[in-house]
Amino acid sequence: MSGAVLAPAGLAAPAAGRLGPAWRGLVRAALPWLLPALLLLAWQAGSMAGWIAEEVLPAPSAVLAAGWELARSGELLRNIEVSTWRALTGFAIGGGLGLGFGVLTGLSRLGERLLDSSVQMLRNIPHLALIPLVILWFGIDEAAKLFLVALGSFFPVYVNTMHGVRSVDPQLVEMGRAYGMDAPTLFRRIVLPGALPSVFVGLRYGLGIMWLTLIVAETIAANSGIGYMAMHAREFMLVDVVVFSILVYALLGKLADSLARLLERLCLSWNPAYRSA
Amino acid sequence: MDGMVQAPARAAGVAVGIRGLRKAFGGPAVLQGIDLDIPAGQFLAVVGRSGCGKSTLLRLIAGLEQPGGGSLTLRAGQDLLAPAAAVRLMFQEPRLLPWSSIGGNVEVGLPRGLAAAERAARARAALAEVGLAERAAEWPAVLSGGQKQRVALARALVSRPRLLALDEPLGALDALTRIGMQALVEAVWRAEGFTAVLVTHDVGEAVALADRVILLEQGRVAMDVPIDLPRPRRHGDAALAALEARILDRLLAAER
Repeated sequence: MSGAVLAPAGLAAPAAGRLGPAWRGLVRAALPWLLPALLLLAWQAGSMAGWIAEEVLPAPSAVLAAGWELARSGELLRNIEVSTWRALTGFAIGGGLGLGFGVLTGLSRLGERLLDSSVQMLRNIPHLALIPLVILWFGIDEAAKLFLVALGSFFPVYVNTMHGVRSVDPQLVEMGRAYGMDAPTLFRRIVLPGALPSVFVGLRYGLGIMWLTLIVAETIAANSGIGYMAMHAREFMLVDVVVFSILVYALLGKLADSLARLLERLCLSWNPAYRSA
Repeated sequence: MDGMVQAPARAAGVAVGIRGLRKAFGGPAVLQGIDLDIPAGQFLAVVGRSGCGKSTLLRLIAGLEQPGGGSLTLRAGQDLLAPAAAVRLMFQEPRLLPWSSIGGNVEVGLPRGLAAAERAARARAALAEVGLAERAAEWPAVLSGGQKQRVALARALVSRPRLLALDEPLGALDALTRIGMQALVEAVWRAEGFTAVLVTHDVGEAVALADRVILLEQGRVAMDVPIDLPRPRRHGDAALAALEARILDRLLAAER
């Protein structure tokens, strides 16, 4: 498999200067994958040559085979479903609250005085340090994972939303007032779009923390999900399954980030900084 | 659209009555008792040094600030009008919403409660007035500084204001674009008949455009000069130059 991935990139790269624009486009698209492909190849070769012990790091082919086995039994899909549901639900709760409170403290001085210092205090507690407490409160139920994910993704969304609302151009707000906009219109047409680039920064940070939190939570206390799959495999020394689980997390994380980027490009197409891919 | 414009013609403007108007922002008063009558349809230019209170006067007329004392009334015939309904303000910067299309930006100037189709049609008509009808669907970011200010003018005009307040809107433009914009503002004012109040630091621009120039000094009207010259006025005209020199002399004398 790794050989097949490498072949076009390896062939096309040195010849790029002399080839037509279609080839050059292909090379440019393949370039980010060159390094991972080379690494995979070296890994596979190292395993086959016996330099990398099977019980330390199984060969890519073995990891893939383990993944195929998990996919066929339906275990993989079930665990991905559970993990994705936890991640998205937790993020929706935490991110939604972060957005709401961020707008509130961004708009109102009273809201800021009342809430912001408390939130900043809480923010400085590593939310993963709460795991023992969370297990005492919720057991290893769904609620525990949702709580941790929501808590983790709340802060980046909150901080960036507040900052975004604060930094909306006051001249535009004054223009809106002078042109007779009422408060809801002012919010919808000026404050929210003005804050959006910053909100997206928070969203992407929050998504990162969402996966991180879920991985830790599922590894420590769960009976389903990808983290559980990895821990369960560890007990039986199934290193290939462990490595495969880690790869699935990487892929899911990348997928979430790509989705956020796409959303960003759709919502911020007015901004020259986001216009081109 | 032209038919709609010409029907009310000169009756469209409001008359401004200002009596003993005062305004302070914490410290010493910026305006210290201004008495001023602006007849309906007049083009008034307000000049003065930085900090003389000319922008404050304009913001009071536009209803963006509340008077600290005295009175300010807008009248059309016998009717008293609220600034929010009658006045549109053009700022020194275009202040366009970068996330709205050019047409959408012009629609900001329309009153609420109109059907979408009518909003778009009126925005288009206002853009046509400033020569940008074809650009309605584009983002403001693609426009030059002068074009952005033309969009801002269309946004100010689209609701057919009875008073147009201009806060140095041409100050940031290069010399050639500026002359073009001056001609545009004058043409629109002549076609629509609103009252215009232009705040500027450029005395040449003031005498070229206005029916009357007032000079503010330390929060008071220090000079009130009618400009009875035929339009269109030519740049570098001797009579204009003489008036400009008279006002500049007074401005510079205040400095010594």
